[in-house]
Amino acid sequence: MQQAQFANSFPSIKDAAPASVSALRPALFARYGALSELRHDYPLVLVDEGQGATLLRPLSRIIDDILKAAAAPGADGEAMRQQVLKLEARIRRAVNGGRAGRLSALWRTAAAEMVKESGEAPFGPLDSNLDAARRHLDLDGEVIGCNAETPARVVTHAWKARQDAKARRFRKRVESLILRLSDILKSDHMKSHEAHGAEALASAMGRDVDGSIDFDALSGVLERARPEDRLPEDRVKRIRHALEALRCQPFFGPGRASQSCPKRPEPYNYTFTSVSDALNAHRARLPDVLEFTKAMTVAELEVDNKYRPELHDPVFARFDESDLTAEQMDLLPSALICLRDGVTVSAEIARAYEALACGLPITVLIQVDDLLGPTAPEPPRNSFGAGTTRLASMAMGLNNAFVFQAASAHLFRMCRALRRGMDYDGPALFCIYSGATPSVRGVAPYVLSAAATEARVFPNFTYDPAAGADLASRFDLSVNPQCEADWPEHVLDYEDREGQGCRERIAFSFADFAICDARYQRFCHAVPQDGWTPAMMPTAEHLAEPDEGNAIESSYVLGIDPENRLFRVVVDAKIVEAALRCNDAWRRLLELAGVNNSHALRLLAAERKAREAAERKAEAEPEPALAPEPAPAVAEAPPVAAEPADEGAADGVPWIETARCTTCNECTQVNSAMFRYNENMQAYIADPDAGTYRQLVEAAEGCQVSIIHPGQPRNPDEPNLAELIERAAPFA
Amino acid sequence: MTASMSQCLMQMVQTDYAISDYQSEIAPRWCSGCGDTAILTAMQRLCRDEQLPPEKTVSVSGIGCASRLPHYMNAYGFHGIHGRALPIAEGIKIRRPDLHVFVTMGDGDCCSIGAAHWLHAIRYNMNMTVLLHDNNVYGLTKKQASPTSPHGMKSNTTPFGATLNPLNPLTVTLGVSNVSFVAQAVDWIPDLLYQILRQAYHHKGLSFIRILQRCPNFMEHRFDDWVRDPSKMRILTHGDGLRLAPDLSRVYKNQETHDPLNMERALALAALEGEIPVGILYRNPNVPCYDELRAGERPNTPALVETVLNEEFDKVGIWPDGAAAQVGE
Repeated sequence: MQQAQFANSFPSIKDAAPASVSALRPALFARYGALSELRHDYPLVLVDEGQGATLLRPLSRIIDDILKAAAAPGADGEAMRQQVLKLEARIRRAVNGGRAGRLSALWRTAAAEMVKESGEAPFGPLDSNLDAARRHLDLDGEVIGCNAETPARVVTHAWKARQDAKARRFRKRVESLILRLSDILKSDHMKSHEAHGAEALASAMGRDVDGSIDFDALSGVLERARPEDRLPEDRVKRIRHALEALRCQPFFGPGRASQSCPKRPEPYNYTFTSVSDALNAHRARLPDVLEFTKAMTVAELEVDNKYRPELHDPVFARFDESDLTAEQMDLLPSALICLRDGVTVSAEIARAYEALACGLPITVLIQVDDLLGPTAPEPPRNSFGAGTTRLASMAMGLNNAFVFQAASAHLFRMCRALRRGMDYDGPALFCIYSGATPSVRGVAPYVLSAAATEARVFPNFTYDPAAGADLASRFDLSVNPQCEADWPEHVLDYEDREGQGCRERIAFSFADFAICDARYQRFCHAVPQDGWTPAMMPTAEHLAEPDEGNAIESSYVLGIDPENRLFRVVVDAKIVEAALRCNDAWRRLLELAGVNNSHALRLLAAERKAREAAERKAEAEPEPALAPEPAPAVAEAPPVAAEPADEGAADGVPWIETARCTTCNECTQVNSAMFRYNENMQAYIADPDAGTYRQLVEAAEGCQVSIIHPGQPRNPDEPNLAELIERAAPFA
Repeated sequence: MTASMSQCLMQMVQTDYAISDYQSEIAPRWCSGCGDTAILTAMQRLCRDEQLPPEKTVSVSGIGCASRLPHYMNAYGFHGIHGRALPIAEGIKIRRPDLHVFVTMGDGDCCSIGAAHWLHAIRYNMNMTVLLHDNNVYGLTKKQASPTSPHGMKSNTTPFGATLNPLNPLTVTLGVSNVSFVAQAVDWIPDLLYQILRQAYHHKGLSFIRILQRCPNFMEHRFDDWVRDPSKMRILTHGDGLRLAPDLSRVYKNQETHDPLNMERALALAALEGEIPVGILYRNPNVPCYDELRAGERPNTPALVETVLNEEFDKVGIWPDGAAAQVGE
């Protein structure tokens, strides 16, 4: 979460009286109490088509861009900065308060209010500064806050942008065909008896002819010279038929060349709120689609004069939906189906999966408002705390569908993936958590949706079948906080009883997310500091070692009450178990993303075992009497000057010249489990299997004194090994 | 004596300090790959190996990248003002001779604005260890030429190249009266840096170490020739001086046995061009120290200070009748 200030955000543990759990929220939320005052990714501007490549832009970034261009260094620029930032805060408050509108309109209103409140005359310094800043506003669009409507609005906006682009491409192609087909008919008409008649000639010359031309005589002359090579009747008929189909297509609004269509059909609606409606519409429109596609194909053949009746007639006679190619389907609009989990019946969601599996070009949005679900679902099932968090994961099994899962708070960061999903020429599923859970009170949807991602309840990911053939290319989990950890850790600053500042790193886990929900609060108990005992254990630590002792009852997360007083919230074993399930699902996603892949780990363990056995065997065998001396290796590669003194170099094991390490932290920042410091704060390789070969090579490249030798790759399945080995060569 | 009492008490509490005991809670905020980290580590190693109590250790600095070092030491620290690290350190040393004083300065801090203090500190020869982090540039302010910047170096203040030849801190220091210890180290041979620092710490008097240090952002390739070619590094050895580990000895074969009392050779080595001498150039333990010459007869304990102050106040006190006589009794 992006934030600019931490006003009134300091929790404290003094004078903490017992509190009701319902008033508590996770301690890490302390910073985000007054969200309207913080600069963050909302309000979001749905940028109009044609204003740059971006679909979405946070207001704060727009303001930053404006200030970069408009506010000069110095006192005057600083004054403008402060004024424009106040304007931004005012717009943010207005949008959070429910005001809607376009950015330019909201700007004008807010600026007028500010000028009025300041008591300054129009065109004064404030008015002029705001006006000067506004002139740098080079984009516009609807401004939205983070609420229950956000997922549908963002996805619809992205879908419309895509359909508009499609419409432009469609019209360009269709209009070109219409004009060229019309030209063929026109040139044929010019050879006809009617075109050479006196009346036609007179109308071609216009009304201003003063009688000096004898059109009857002219017609007679032209008629004698009239060529006889007219188009065959059936070709003319075919072209006329194709022209009519192209001009009267019902998919997009008509272009200029289609104005002559007598029917002028209304374009089809492609947005639905039910899968059944979408599928019915698809079936009903299929004849039109086939007719249009046939007309397009005929037209393309005709303009190039490549239509051969004996060859093509039979093909078009039996043309049906199985002959439609992906390219032809992609030319037409795709349907958008907006479903809302909890509102839409679950049968609709199941049907959506069927539609996605068919490969139809549809875009499905499933908006999730309630992640955890009720604590006692009907009929009873083992889903405590796991309501609807797995919809997108399930859809990845379809294999041919683009899958996108994100929380509302991260939509801007996932903007590129959103666009990729819209551009994908097959089915696409967008699963978005709005953060507007009815059973959570007192937490802004933005904060709650961000918390769902932080707590691994609703991770952000994309599965893009168009990105490549393998899972490493298709699956992306990188837009998650502290991706390789079980739970992300954050710093919590608070005051102790004496008012001294304390700092603690705490993990944000499933349990932190669950205590926000009123339905789950009956499984929690708040303990003020007087009741804290050493037997209590943070939930994240307890989850890391679930078998450690019998301390399930004393597992806790830190919470704060409305007065920012700190409590330990002891959570029930049911929540701990749900957190374990959540962690299990997260680890499964990590495996898909190539982190701690169990197959690779097993292979490595087997390889290591075999190697150790071979070494033991070699040690047990007596050395040959006259073993030849190995030729001394020569270190010729810059920048390493040391002679290879370590046996690690010989068998491809990575190693470091520890004595030459300058403690610059480059390698430990790459992977602190792989590279560690010894007692003299000099680096060594603690565990070469704690990271990837890529990390070894990057550490070697980053090492300021070039003392890291990556050796040979240990995982033969790691992507791009050939490139990495090449990069590692100078450090051999 | 209060100081030794507290020392005894502390030793009862903790007798074995680890490196982590000297690492402050603030993670170093130097740029990635900065040579300053090697110097900080060497200092922390020294403190651990000498088991210096953190409450008896103080590092003093001026302004600059190098001067951030006191923040990262879990000991007393004084982040002073530009060029004034040495007078502050001298004040601390003369008032609290029981403290181990380390001074860290950059080349701009010491050799430019602080040059006058530098010369006089050498002459005063008070018992402290002075580390000159010399990266040849003002890094904190994003690249301006410093007194040690090489001739022709382009920077924000010298866009057409530095016009003057650089100042050599070693020859300058060796030329000051009462100089007692001068050494040179480089950050990219951390083991020698540590050994030199340890020798400096054990020297009685002001030990001055110039540490050539890489700045990966603003002097990116300044020392590449020497980092990549160990034959250009001349390691100075002598009986009780540096001892190279076997693996380093294989790399750094260019070694010279040098008598640290030989000022003439020290000056020649300090002025060496093309090669970088690493080791102790000059060491004379017999130079008098100002703090010893001017040490008071009585240590300035808090009780003594209170007594002396009270005596002074009593001289000007206004007393009721008869009270003065009672005090006098």
